[in-house]
Amino acid sequence: MTARTMAPLAAIALLAVAAGCAGGDARPASDRQRMIELGRQHPTAAALFEALREQASGGQPLQWGALPDWSGVYTRARGGITYDPDQAPGQPPTARLTPEFEARLAERIRLADQGIEWDPISTCAPPGHPRWLTEPFLREFIVTPDQTWLINEMVNDIRRVYTDGRGHVPEEDRLPLYNGDSVGFWDGDRLIVHTNQLREGIYQRRNPDYTDQVETVEIWQKTDDGLLEVDVWVYDPPALVEPWYTRQSYAKLSDPDLRIRYWHCGENQNNSVFQTDDGATQFQDFTFTEADDANQGDER
Amino acid sequence: MTRIRGTLLLAAGLALAAVVTTPAHHSGAMFDETRTVTFEGVIREMQWTNPHSWLLVDVRGDDGTVTTWGFEAEGPSTLRRAGIRPSDLRAGAEITITGRPMKDGRTAALWVEAVLADGRKLDPRKGFEVR
Repeated sequence: MTARTMAPLAAIALLAVAAGCAGGDARPASDRQRMIELGRQHPTAAALFEALREQASGGQPLQWGALPDWSGVYTRARGGITYDPDQAPGQPPTARLTPEFEARLAERIRLADQGIEWDPISTCAPPGHPRWLTEPFLREFIVTPDQTWLINEMVNDIRRVYTDGRGHVPEEDRLPLYNGDSVGFWDGDRLIVHTNQLREGIYQRRNPDYTDQVETVEIWQKTDDGLLEVDVWVYDPPALVEPWYTRQSYAKLSDPDLRIRYWHCGENQNNSVFQTDDGATQFQDFTFTEADDANQGDER
Repeated sequence: MTRIRGTLLLAAGLALAAVVTTPAHHSGAMFDETRTVTFEGVIREMQWTNPHSWLLVDVRGDDGTVTTWGFEAEGPSTLRRAGIRPSDLRAGAEITITGRPMKDGRTAALWVEAVLADGRKLDPRKGFEVR
């Protein structure tokens, strides 16, 4: 495709984004396809983010008296613990992987089918972004004019999105981070976010790996009173042949007494697991009784 | 331990196909997805912890010996979403509980369902339902 033919397609896709494309899994397939095309038409996450910012004329600062109402406690609405909610059961992920990462995924699934599976969060590491989008626990979203906090209950995990006009930290200060460095702008009631400086990780169990070159662009929007939806493009040249587009969603829960509490991942010895020599997951010794505790004391 | 009464009811090749039993923090491959065990016993302790809670149940065998089984479930907020509350699981209460046992024979299982003395059923996985 030439640059000349790409430009009109990009404009169409940007208009589709500007219109919001609400509807979640009920959207026509053509909407999803437009979003996929939008990712393809920008070579990097930074380029897509800048195009969206240009489309929004730089965005509009929020005012304290007119913040979007994202209050409430939410959880992931679709997808279970599969990264792409639109991945069909029993089918491979919708990402177009490079041969190396395709092979890695095939091996991961082959081993998991044999009961050999290890999740890097098993010893209390945070999931990291973009896996952060998938965890099935409670969520809160705190909007202020200068920052938006995207909170996952699990390990008290907060992504801070700076919307005060600052850019990413200078090159000389960059290092891989679990949740990376996120900057964004508001376009009406939509929050557009660019995240870089991420660590390598996995999208989920039985899902692909991503590298520390991964970057994302997200468009967050509350599409009705009970639903926040997010269009996500993941760019990761070593692992992905093209950007991986997905729509994630978070539903507001109806229980008014739900509260997010402190999450101490290491508080119970009975949750302690280790990776066996063959790569599988196994529990350490349990401490169900005083005798168990005493035995472990002897061993130590 | 003040009162112990428990009986192994069932250890058979039962598959509860409709129940999703993958723990959200670590692989669930150490549990046998092809089998369930069901015990009547007495609650020794409920550990309301993250990332997983553990229900410890004392089970008396046919020979009179008591074994403590641990049943893994999700953390406190997910259990609350499943309608499971601290007042439901007091030490000393009788309970019938079903889980997927460890493959290596240790006395632990992934909690599938429990039935309280009043007949109420507790299914931790309902905590992931969106409502």
